[in-house]
Amino acid sequence: MIPLKHSLLITVAAAAASFPFASGPAPAAGAANWRIDPARTEIAFAIDAVGFPRTQGRFDAFEGRIAIDFDRPEKSSVAFHVRAGSVDVGSTSFGDYLRSPAFLDANRHPSIDFVSTSVEKLSDRAVRVSGELTLLGVTKPLTVEVAVERPPGGKERFEFRAQTRIDRLEFGMNSGFPLVSRDVDLTIRSEAAEL
Amino acid sequence: MTLPPRRWSPSVVVLHWINAALIIGLLAVGWLMTHAVFGAAATFNLYQWHKSLGFSALALTALRIAARLRRPAPDSVPGWEGRPARAVQTAFYVLTLIAIGAGWLVVSTSPLPIPTRFFGLFVIPNVAAPDVALFGWTALAHRLAAYAMAALVALHILGALKHHWINRDDVLTRILPRWANNWAIRKVSP
Repeated sequence: MIPLKHSLLITVAAAAASFPFASGPAPAAGAANWRIDPARTEIAFAIDAVGFPRTQGRFDAFEGRIAIDFDRPEKSSVAFHVRAGSVDVGSTSFGDYLRSPAFLDANRHPSIDFVSTSVEKLSDRAVRVSGELTLLGVTKPLTVEVAVERPPGGKERFEFRAQTRIDRLEFGMNSGFPLVSRDVDLTIRSEAAEL
Repeated sequence: MTLPPRRWSPSVVVLHWINAALIIGLLAVGWLMTHAVFGAAATFNLYQWHKSLGFSALALTALRIAARLRRPAPDSVPGWEGRPARAVQTAFYVLTLIAIGAGWLVVSTSPLPIPTRFFGLFVIPNVAAPDVALFGWTALAHRLAAYAMAALVALHILGALKHHWINRDDVLTRILPRWANNWAIRKVSP
């Protein structure tokens, strides 16, 4: 497990480092570019089902970039690309099932993407990020409030935390409904370092 | 009337205990996976184990029924006294088929069809299409059959112990593996 995870992290770090602007709107001239730190990033989900324990899992492979413009926060942007096949729920056979066409259909839709369209500063410690989430090839608007914190330490780092809930039926992920809830809770925790 | 042998043949003994382990294992795993004892990943794995064990039990039961039909076994307890024992034994065969048949239908009609991977080796096909109403009924039948099976296991064990300790006959020891048999005989004989 450890070597695999290690190699994944290296892949993600390399991907993030080599293609920091792979897609999404180009950052404004005044924006500083930040790279997410995969070792300190977690993209987790939770979903309830009748007669079954709450399923909690995460995605192990992703890349992302953040551009922050402190003078004009609305010019900031964020993009995350998550590899659907990297879903991890602590059981290989369960993971295989989630990767199957019943849920993530990871072969046909290998990437889950979030690309921001606007960022609004709410306070010194919170921003509202509006953007588009693409899951199973279906793109829907999604707005999340993101808590921003500067962890203690000399290096320029930012900590981001966001929690949101999506309706999987909107993306055509209908399997098991209503036994399996339509609501999926998403929790994203990330740390970004200035490039 | 054929009298039972002093000991059942080794194949009968082995099949009996494999079947016993399968049934008790199925009941235990079935209870654990439906009572939120573990987290989602472990529960998912338990469902797969339950299904694999269930199909193993189905194959074994079919084999035992075929063997019985080919060569009827002597009654373990002859005469009218053996009637409850024979009823329990027949009920085991019937209930095993009902429980596993219903289980196969539960898996097949589930609104969330999860492929049955037999010990991770190959997929066992479904026998019906997803159907919420049928799923509800077959799930109920499966559960009732499981509880009835648990009751039968208790009756079967109580009957065996009654023969061993009260009647002091060899009904129990005949089906025990040889090592356990010697031990049990020593315990009972004065």
